[in-house]
Amino acid sequence: MGNFIGKSVKRREDARFLKGAGKYTDDIKLPKMAHAAFVRSPYAHAKILSVKTEEAEKADGVVAVFTAKDGCGEFGVPCGWQVDFKNGETMREPKHPLLAKDKIKHLGEAVAIVIAETLEQARDAVELVEVDYEELPSVTDPKKAMEEGAPLVHDEWENNAAFDWCIGNDRAEVEAALEKAHHVTEMEYRNQRLAPNAMEPRSYIADYDVNGDKWTLYTSTQNPHLIRLLLCAFALGIPEHKVRVVSRDVGGGFGSKIYHYTEEALLTWASKEIGRPIKWTSDRSEAFLTDAHGRDHVVKSKMGFDKDGKIVAHLTDEYCGMGAYLSTFAPAVPTYLHGTLFQGVYTTPLIHLNVTAPFTHTVPVDAYRGAGRPEATYLLERIISKGAQEMGMDPAEIRFKNFIPPFDGVEEEGYQTQVALQYDSGNYEKALKRGLEMLGYEDFRKEQEKARKKGKLLGVGISTYIEGCGIAPSAVVGALGARAGLYEVGQVRVQPTGKVSVFTGAHSHGQGHETVFAQFVADKLGIPMDDVEIEHGDTEQVAFGMGTYGSRSLAVGGSAIIKSIDKILEKGAKIAAHKLEAAEEDLEYLDGKWTVKGTDKSISFGDVSLTAYVPHDYPEGLEPGLDFSSFYDPSNFTYPFGTHIAVVEVDADTGAVELQRFIAVDDVGNVMNPMIVDGQIQGGVAQGVGQALLEEVVYDEGGQMITGSYMDYAMPRADDLPMIETDRTTTPCPHNPLGVKGAGEAGAIGSTPAVVNAVVDALAHLGVTDIQMPLKPQTVWRAMQN
Amino acid sequence: MKINGNYTLNVTPAVFWEMVMDPNVLEKVTPGIKELKEEGPDKYEAISQVRVGPVKGNFNGNLVIKDKVPHESCTLEIDQKSKMGNVIAEIVMKMVPLEDDKTDIQYTGEAKMSGTLASMGQRIMSGVVSTLSKQFFKSMEEEIEKRDKN
Amino acid sequence: MEITLTVNGTEFTRDIEPRLSLTQFLREHLDLTGTHIGCDTSGCGACTVTLNGDAVKSCTILAVQANGSEVTTIEGMAKNGEMHPIQAAFKEEHGLQCGFCTPGMVMVAADILKHNSKPSEEDIRHGLKGNFCRCTGYHNIIKSIQHAAETINK
Repeated sequence: MGNFIGKSVKRREDARFLKGAGKYTDDIKLPKMAHAAFVRSPYAHAKILSVKTEEAEKADGVVAVFTAKDGCGEFGVPCGWQVDFKNGETMREPKHPLLAKDKIKHLGEAVAIVIAETLEQARDAVELVEVDYEELPSVTDPKKAMEEGAPLVHDEWENNAAFDWCIGNDRAEVEAALEKAHHVTEMEYRNQRLAPNAMEPRSYIADYDVNGDKWTLYTSTQNPHLIRLLLCAFALGIPEHKVRVVSRDVGGGFGSKIYHYTEEALLTWASKEIGRPIKWTSDRSEAFLTDAHGRDHVVKSKMGFDKDGKIVAHLTDEYCGMGAYLSTFAPAVPTYLHGTLFQGVYTTPLIHLNVTAPFTHTVPVDAYRGAGRPEATYLLERIISKGAQEMGMDPAEIRFKNFIPPFDGVEEEGYQTQVALQYDSGNYEKALKRGLEMLGYEDFRKEQEKARKKGKLLGVGISTYIEGCGIAPSAVVGALGARAGLYEVGQVRVQPTGKVSVFTGAHSHGQGHETVFAQFVADKLGIPMDDVEIEHGDTEQVAFGMGTYGSRSLAVGGSAIIKSIDKILEKGAKIAAHKLEAAEEDLEYLDGKWTVKGTDKSISFGDVSLTAYVPHDYPEGLEPGLDFSSFYDPSNFTYPFGTHIAVVEVDADTGAVELQRFIAVDDVGNVMNPMIVDGQIQGGVAQGVGQALLEEVVYDEGGQMITGSYMDYAMPRADDLPMIETDRTTTPCPHNPLGVKGAGEAGAIGSTPAVVNAVVDALAHLGVTDIQMPLKPQTVWRAMQN
Repeated sequence: MKINGNYTLNVTPAVFWEMVMDPNVLEKVTPGIKELKEEGPDKYEAISQVRVGPVKGNFNGNLVIKDKVPHESCTLEIDQKSKMGNVIAEIVMKMVPLEDDKTDIQYTGEAKMSGTLASMGQRIMSGVVSTLSKQFFKSMEEEIEKRDKN
Repeated sequence: MEITLTVNGTEFTRDIEPRLSLTQFLREHLDLTGTHIGCDTSGCGACTVTLNGDAVKSCTILAVQANGSEVTTIEGMAKNGEMHPIQAAFKEEHGLQCGFCTPGMVMVAADILKHNSKPSEEDIRHGLKGNFCRCTGYHNIIKSIQHAAETINK
């Protein structure tokens, strides 16, 4: 531990946000900037018979109106991951047009863009665009989409499957083991559709500069370089070196701002057409209709146990909705980010997951906080608890029986799962023990018994999750269908005065990189934090980068910076040795200076920096300057894990669930800043609780979304949650220099099944063994009555 | 969305029938109707402005009267478009004669909405529809009174 | 039409469209972009400001309704470069992550503390009901407001 690593250093980015001085994309105003608004389909599936734009074009302040017939019609946004069919057939990848031309494939799909001097004028003119539709039957449920005769999303294929996929052991072998199992627990449910709801709606400004023939795209994205690559190489076919993508302050992402959206490409195209900057900021209603959603798995699962409660086999079939088009990461979510976690923290010897991924007449579904892993964890943690309940076992006891024994990944080898991955390090029982201790598990069970006699329904739910993050080794993901590498870039530029600018390809949209990255850079260089500045979010400043998602920033982005620091110190030592007239191997670097071991002869980091840039007295043959850039490609994923425990009380009369306590013991490897890690966990837990109790996107039978506003889509508010009790165990990651695993998604992954397990536990004596999420009062009340 | 209800009017089924089949009366009594143009037998183009609470919009589209059984029943087919979404409804209206030359009008049907109307308005639409239906029959009563005076 | 109002102690007169919301007026006409727009149904509270001393969601108020009023936005909370005790407490307790809901949270916190100088956890949760935060799970926002109450009461 140094001066800063491991300390709860207060965030440097806070002052600007607290003073209202953050610069989110919508806060930017450019000279001559025009404003865009979209004409969007009110139908899920329809033929476009005609689009009349004449009236709108004549309206006050209107600069231009474009439809798919105006040149942008040839372009589409790409998908970044390819998962082929089990039989080898190529993944079906429909064109995802910037504007719909002949056919609408989901509600809210854009038909025309109206650009005007002011936002009000653009919105007024949208009303004047006449679109004649012929509504067609639609399908929004992923399972129904695969039924015979279901309306087709894309007419070019005979059914709605985008791909199918399986992982694990031979199906027949798993089925045979289930036949012979002492007890088989079955579950059938839907992991419901969620709207990510970052509080800042998506916002883009495209600015074409005719003199330089260059574009600048200001965008609320989690990965500016990836957007530039997709925009240039795939969407519009424009030269990458002519495009600058800037993404500074971003108001939350949770996955929804990873993807390259049609509006980004369309604005970039239109800006050149009109020769002016154009801004578009989504309103919340548009966000519900057009931001990629999360989850939407229809699940059927069986888990077999022996008479002692040991898991013998696990078989699952899922229908995972893709929406109308394949979003950037969509095919990876129900497959490689999902099936590879089916081992959980258990020694299950036989596992098989089969996935069918259909198109539906809905907005695309893609990664949402946790991406595939919350779905895997929900299934595993619910079904093992259900199994325990059916066999009359304690939910903690069944977990202890099945845990993979502790391994550190150094002395003991990593754990090879049945589903491709090898876990890095883990100590699952330690986290559960700590969680039970924090709860006072045995006392709680007594209290629960007493309360039950008084008609009070208390319940406890346990979830012992594992997740895979820090994505990812490029060769591995490449083999799994990723169309990009998943390394990260970190550049450390030491200025002549010894001040340090760090350029990272990771992106901060709430995570506090400006603080955390500066902490370890300052410590590694032995200099004050104030001497370190972290820069991100601008493709013209940062060489390259893959961005932030999958809890990868510190594990991958941090490691890239460490690699550059190592190079700085190695070169610095050469300069220091020259100046000190000593051999390099006789020097040690400590507290910001190189010292000749056993003497008081030393030279500071600042002096070496200056020498590097004013190389008058300098080692022969050494290049001047002190500036290194590194690409870090991890050798494995990282595997954070932990135990989440929820305590609930269910109102016996109304079915309303009150979350009384929430305990989170997370092992995210080494911790750079405990305050920030706790903050990530607390926020993640809130989102996971939101899925368990409140949140659901509902499309009605006609493909209309009936939860399209904050009046209808329930998200956790301050009075829905208790204080979150957090603690940690620390099992360092053995394969990256900081020993970190990642903390961004853990809260959302572990919490959901803990809450549902708790509610089912509260009602277990009534014979309730499962309830469909979200656990709204009427759903719980109905379960109680049956 | 299901639509159903009933209302008792102080006229015989025959008089009610005659009034409903008269576009001038329909234009007067249907809430929000600004214009009703006869496009063909039993087919009208309707332009309306509806404003109830937070739901407000200019609609235009067709109104078709079909399955006519004079003095007994008919079906209204409504197809209205607006910027906030579209409504397609089919409503069966039955006229049940009561004592004292009264008629119980019973209506039942289903409406399908799209766009913002569906995503934001659906929750309150059933309230809106019942308010509008009441307005319709209230206005009808007024028309009946006027007619009686003349 | 022309309106005159005092924002963060300075009087402004502007000619505006009657349909302009107070949020848009602040953002577009006065360049006070700290007040944010997170929804269109008054559900999120990111646009909270004080109007004549009371916290309001500025998206549900027309700029013309604020004619003649005193408005304080997040930009008016810090005095002479010093953060307001509520702002300082949010930093101290890590009461913000992405920062988007934060201006609204600070403004509503000021309102909570104005009416109750020693709010309980429950009082604070109740007071925050109209404001969404998607990052923090509210945990540290509550701690921030408790912290601010202690500083102010000292």
